[in-house]
Amino acid sequence: MGVAKIATQTSNSLAIGTERDPDPWRIPTDVAMDLVELMARYCDGDAAAFRELYSLVSPRLYGYLVKICRQRALAADLLQLTFLKVHRARGAYVRGADPIPWIYAIAYRTFIDDVRKQKHDVVRLGNDADPEQAAAPDRDERRSEAADSELVSAALSALSRLPHEQRQAVVLTKLEGKTLAEAAEIAGTSVGAMKVRAHRGYKALRSILSYRDASPAATGAPP
Amino acid sequence: MTGRENDELAALRAIELMPPPLTAAIESELAHLSPAAMRRPRRQLALVLAVGGLVVSALLLVLGVRADVDELPTGWIPVVAVGWVIGLVLAAWFALVPRAGTVMPRWRIAALIAIATSCMYVVLGLVLHPSGPSSLIFGRERFVAGHGCLELGLATAITPVVLGAWFLRGTTPVRTRWIAATLGAAGGCVGGLLLHFYCRIADGLHIGLIHGGVVGCAALIAALVVPRAITTRS
Repeated sequence: MGVAKIATQTSNSLAIGTERDPDPWRIPTDVAMDLVELMARYCDGDAAAFRELYSLVSPRLYGYLVKICRQRALAADLLQLTFLKVHRARGAYVRGADPIPWIYAIAYRTFIDDVRKQKHDVVRLGNDADPEQAAAPDRDERRSEAADSELVSAALSALSRLPHEQRQAVVLTKLEGKTLAEAAEIAGTSVGAMKVRAHRGYKALRSILSYRDASPAATGAPP
Repeated sequence: MTGRENDELAALRAIELMPPPLTAAIESELAHLSPAAMRRPRRQLALVLAVGGLVVSALLLVLGVRADVDELPTGWIPVVAVGWVIGLVLAAWFALVPRAGTVMPRWRIAALIAIATSCMYVVLGLVLHPSGPSSLIFGRERFVAGHGCLELGLATAITPVVLGAWFLRGTTPVRTRWIAATLGAAGGCVGGLLLHFYCRIADGLHIGLIHGGVVGCAALIAALVVPRAITTRS
């Protein structure tokens, strides 16, 4: 199947319900301009600008991290680590540039590094540790998940079953409202590859959700 | 997709979370926040090009220009030198300068430039290699004896690559290897430029595989070594 055909299908099938344009979840242009201004002030040594930047960016970024890693405690750690990296690399910022794709890319890199570290730790522990168990939420985590609505929990659970590249593509393009070009820049991949990942991820997600709906007793495993 | 599935994804989309407050580690760094000079990509590009030119000039002053320089076809030396400079400028541009309004360099174009320059100079060297009476022809038998050029070219590449890596530190959270490879290719072009003025071995194998190969080798070495320096770290 050609990329163009997949792209057409993706643009049709990825629409959730009828809401497609305009995207209510995109950062408005004036806020984006504020972020550029805040980033410049922060790089000039204004700590208040960093706090303001954090208050504007972190709710969305935290949501993004929760969606890609599912565990809130881990997402909170990754969020802090991401901002620590941004802080230490602030000299790499180019005046006037939109900092959002850069910050999201750092967040994604931080998540991938954590996944690799967890795998490495599980391998070092040997047979005593099961990767699923190691990644399972702890008691506090379960308590906070219980606070989620049933719909959110179900969707998060379904999302967590996707391979992380497809999960990221679905989260960025459909849940975070990024364009394919922005999502590709954040993920460090091409627009074509991002289209394919988003299409496959959405197809898999649909399959997981419909299977679970068909058999309520099932644990959510795809057919 | 059923209505319930739509509802689940819409609920996920609308999820609003209260992020945690800043950690003590960040707070303590903010307490001593000092202004940081923001990256100026075009100025950094100009510096890398200038330093590359200075390194080549300094080494040529020490080593001397090839003995057959006057025996080669008219215009050959400047035309090929311009070719090396074009490769250097393109590779350094895409390694260092992001698209307007963005922070991260364009890794896809950078990757294409790294691959193209690595292959192009080898092919051109194999095909085009005029010689004069004072030129040396090593041929296949003595090909290995020309390894000194590879070493000299790679040594020349070090300074621009290190400078570029210093400029790029912390900029690139993703696809660092391709950016590093392009930076290496830029350094390799500086090495190739030096060899073009210095080395009088004029057979195709030597010019193509060793002079041209400097670009590919430098790109490969940089792709292995430089990503640790340019990736965004905590």
